[in-house]
Amino acid sequence: MSSSINDHFFSIDSILATQERLPCKVELPIFRLGYLDSATDGNDLLPGTKLEMPFWMAQSLCSRRRHIISIELPKQYRGSYREILDADANVVDLHKMGPYYYAFGTQLLRFDHADGSDIAKSLLMTFQMRFRKIMDSSRNSFNEDTCSLTNKLDETERSLFKAGQKELNDFQRWETRETEKLMTSKMVRNHRKRKRAALEEIS
Amino acid sequence: MDPAEVEFLAEKELVKIVPNFTQDKIFLIGGDIGPFSPSLPVSVPLWMAVNLKQGQKCRLVPPDWMDVEKLKDKKQEEMDSKFFTAMPSDQYMEVTQLILKSATDDIPHADEIRTLVKDIWDLRIAKLRSSIDTFVRSDATHAKLNHLTLMELNTVRPFLTQALDHMHVLRNNISGRIQSTQD
Repeated sequence: MSSSINDHFFSIDSILATQERLPCKVELPIFRLGYLDSATDGNDLLPGTKLEMPFWMAQSLCSRRRHIISIELPKQYRGSYREILDADANVVDLHKMGPYYYAFGTQLLRFDHADGSDIAKSLLMTFQMRFRKIMDSSRNSFNEDTCSLTNKLDETERSLFKAGQKELNDFQRWETRETEKLMTSKMVRNHRKRKRAALEEIS
Repeated sequence: MDPAEVEFLAEKELVKIVPNFTQDKIFLIGGDIGPFSPSLPVSVPLWMAVNLKQGQKCRLVPPDWMDVEKLKDKKQEEMDSKFFTAMPSDQYMEVTQLILKSATDDIPHADEIRTLVKDIWDLRIAKLRSSIDTFVRSDATHAKLNHLTLMELNTVRPFLTQALDHMHVLRNNISGRIQSTQD
């Protein structure tokens, strides 16, 4: 399922979630990669340099076995932001805090960070608090613009919202007896359009 | 599941009709139906009743529960109870829809019945939603809801399962079981 934050190797969502930037500090000299840090002209990355790296790269450079860099938590997962979420998760713009807030947060727990368990708890609590709002708004907005409702939702929540909307629409269609009207299948309709476009190109 | 599929399942429900034609027993996979003789009530599946009614070949006898007084009582019971109450038919919503669409003239007070059934439906859906919310907020791993009908379940299914999936992952985070990248 594309919505799930389970990270599958081929899941686009998971790939997008792991390319978030992560502030890191270099612990061992890394040779010939000086160009990664635009602040220096040197050839090598020296210990103590601070730079941002995508998560997937940081992950392999910082583990129990190798400790080439050390990572810091991105600010949206730090204590102060967690307190905001604690206070009222419903008003927070999770999409701004990283379109894959939950998925990225889950990934961050791979580094054995001291705050790990707090982050995990905060993620679950945030979702529980926001759930009611997503459920109600997705099920009560029939035939209207949903942008204002979804723009504060993180990607996982958006797919949840879409699922709710689909149910609502299906049910409404059934209730108004729309489902029994026979319609051209989408594939056939698109095929015709494409054919026409191809014909126009030729002529 | 699509609501239309749920409706398809509901069409197996038996209803009584009063035919105005003569016909021997019909042998169907689902069982034998008939014999039909004019003005003798007979039980047929809903799909057949709708079909015959459309051909003006019968009069539909409303099910026992499709009665203004009974539905009013049911609505009151549903309002008073904190939990879901048992519905007279497992497919009350679908059956009402189908009957009221095709045989409005055979049902006394059809408008009132339509409103009452819709009221009961709304009450139950509101209840369902608030129980889902309590369930999600609590740390329970399972919940038991009695007397829910298929159509009601169907309106929350994809949404709820997705949300629970998501919560399962977040819970696993807490207990420290992080899934590997390629499982």
